[in-house]
Amino acid sequence: MVIVWLLLGCAAAYGLTRVALGYPRPSERYEHLNRAEAALVEGAAVAMFPPGGAIPESGLDADLPGYLDRLLAASHPRQRRQLHMLFFLIEHATLCFPAPGRGGLRRFSSLSHDQRVDVLQDWATSNLFFRRLCFTSLRALLTLGYFAHPPVTRRLGVAPPAVETPVCEADLLYPPIGAGPEAIAFTADDLTEPSDGTPILPGAPRHRRYAEDLS
Amino acid sequence: MSESHAGEGQVRVFAEYDRDFHEEADVVVVGSGPCGAVVAKGLTDAGQRVVLLEEGPPFTPGEFELDGGLSMARTLREGGLRATRGTVLSTMQAIGLGGGSLVNSAICVRAPDWVLDRWCAQFELERTTRADLDPHYEAVGKFLGIAPTPENVLGQRNLLFKQGCESLGYASEPIWRNVRGCRGTGECFTGCRTRAKQSVDINYIPAAVRGGARVLTSLRAERVLVSQRRAHGVEGRVVAPFSGAPSHRFRVDAKAVVLAAGCMATPVLLKKSGDLANRSRQVGENLQFHPGVAVMGVFPERVDPQFGATQGYQSLHFLRQGFKLETLWAPPAVLAVRMPGSGLVLKERLADIPYSAIWDGITTCNNSLGSVRPRRRGLDPVLTWRLHPSDLPFVANALWTLAEIFFAAGARKILPGVHGIPPVLHSLREAEILRTQRFKASQLVMGGNHAFCTTRMHGDPRRGVVDELGKCHDLDNLYIADTGVFPQCPTVNPMWTGMALAHRTAHALAGRL
Repeated sequence: MVIVWLLLGCAAAYGLTRVALGYPRPSERYEHLNRAEAALVEGAAVAMFPPGGAIPESGLDADLPGYLDRLLAASHPRQRRQLHMLFFLIEHATLCFPAPGRGGLRRFSSLSHDQRVDVLQDWATSNLFFRRLCFTSLRALLTLGYFAHPPVTRRLGVAPPAVETPVCEADLLYPPIGAGPEAIAFTADDLTEPSDGTPILPGAPRHRRYAEDLS
Repeated sequence: MSESHAGEGQVRVFAEYDRDFHEEADVVVVGSGPCGAVVAKGLTDAGQRVVLLEEGPPFTPGEFELDGGLSMARTLREGGLRATRGTVLSTMQAIGLGGGSLVNSAICVRAPDWVLDRWCAQFELERTTRADLDPHYEAVGKFLGIAPTPENVLGQRNLLFKQGCESLGYASEPIWRNVRGCRGTGECFTGCRTRAKQSVDINYIPAAVRGGARVLTSLRAERVLVSQRRAHGVEGRVVAPFSGAPSHRFRVDAKAVVLAAGCMATPVLLKKSGDLANRSRQVGENLQFHPGVAVMGVFPERVDPQFGATQGYQSLHFLRQGFKLETLWAPPAVLAVRMPGSGLVLKERLADIPYSAIWDGITTCNNSLGSVRPRRRGLDPVLTWRLHPSDLPFVANALWTLAEIFFAAGARKILPGVHGIPPVLHSLREAEILRTQRFKASQLVMGGNHAFCTTRMHGDPRRGVVDELGKCHDLDNLYIADTGVFPQCPTVNPMWTGMALAHRTAHALAGRL
């Protein structure tokens, strides 16, 4: 009987190790991403956006783990829970449905790069709608983060332009979010002419956050 | 509860609430979106003391987030991740002063005559014809400066659509929008930094404030207070911007209550208030969408799709066949989400974006119905909806017609975004698959941002929640003014029709008060 319990204990410990332990310490400190999630996102970021190709920046260059951490921080608690569940599911699904090739019965983040690519492709083309939905959700998150990286949007010519914002009556009524009315920056003297409808054309200067020289 | 009154004409924000409080008004309006704002101004103009409640905060231009993901997380309920059960359809509801008008693309289309005639015939309505509604459309249109998109801000993305439609002989036209001085930055969905889009937070609400309305933001209405057949106010909690964390309690007592929280929130509020106004059993039923699909086309020449009015051109040619076609632009990150593939292949496709245009079709699916139910906790809805097989051809036809227009406009390939067929189609011949294959709903990536009918109007109190003027059949002074009152989908973008109906409701209510 003791042996049975010992074996069960060993199996449980092994299972725990496979599921939850042994993750490397992430290079950054994240507020919401745990170690496992950071490892998953890093692995998926490179599988989805490897270095080189038509856009040289990789998913890691774009700091996708950092972006997703910020997105989680900005999310409502229920959505945050859903996103954590999505990460858990994708990270551990290969323990039930192994990746192709040797050593495929491992967590997503422990797979080789090629295996990760294969796994994602599997999710993307699955006949099961739910799997495709999970893949689409993960890819959506990573893509949002990739495009939040100014060099990517600059390279594609889709960085937001610099525009002047007229001051209108509403700006005298609303303070910045979180502040009280004393923080309203404008008075009636600051009102400006409304937009005159001059089109902004390709080649217009970019918003400062996306400009080439950030100094 | 201690008494504390906002002064006339004040806007109150989260930082100002430090205790439970109580307000009084002639009318309390719940929801500051396009319809609620119209009601608030209409009643204020009529001399009523109005309190306008909004759960979200007011956004200033400096707070418009340019990044698509973060923008959605901040301005949309459930972080923009809301979707239906049944047939999965992503859908959105804004949270912020101005509601959907803050983050929509300002499209204004009057419901066609034949739709209004059908509403009247099928739903026992007598005063909802074109002639009845035109004065209200006019009043809203004049106040917002609704006009066709000027040619000089169309940009190549819109002009290519026009060109494609013209070559095929399909009628098309510039979209009418509530915009003044558009510069074509394509940022409607993340908040207009040029202040050209006339979202109601910069016109109707300031006008209402000027007239004496009190605008209380960061307040979540949780219950309509009722005794006998009369509503006498609402109560709820102060909630923190973005996190929604509740704190102090509030109550607003009023002679009349107008619910304009949107067709996904108003039924939840009614249900949470003791299944109010629901003798017809229609509250939360009949949920309809305009399921939308989009196709991306890649052209040989640079399109620079970012520049030009977000949605500047449309075709109503196929309206009677069940779909409407439009041009589209959104934050590039959001559009890129639908690009197929991963790795270097995905990167190559992303690099096509400067040469791309994206156009969409919204469909009339009158047989596809769903419901809105409250969750056990909180006020977010559970949405259930199924695309009826008889409505699927409308979606497929929209996809095929978009493909036709793309190739007629000179596209070298299209990305239809349909599972189970090649991700890239290089010719109209290859695109024939969109016409010949029978699709399942699960193969399509659909969105539905126009939602209706969950508190529908009906001449028969046993079959509808409100009458033609928006008054609940079951109560003497509870009104609903949002797209939930539509008896059926309007086949075109709903904002202007919703505002016209709200304008009529405000006038009717002012007359009764």
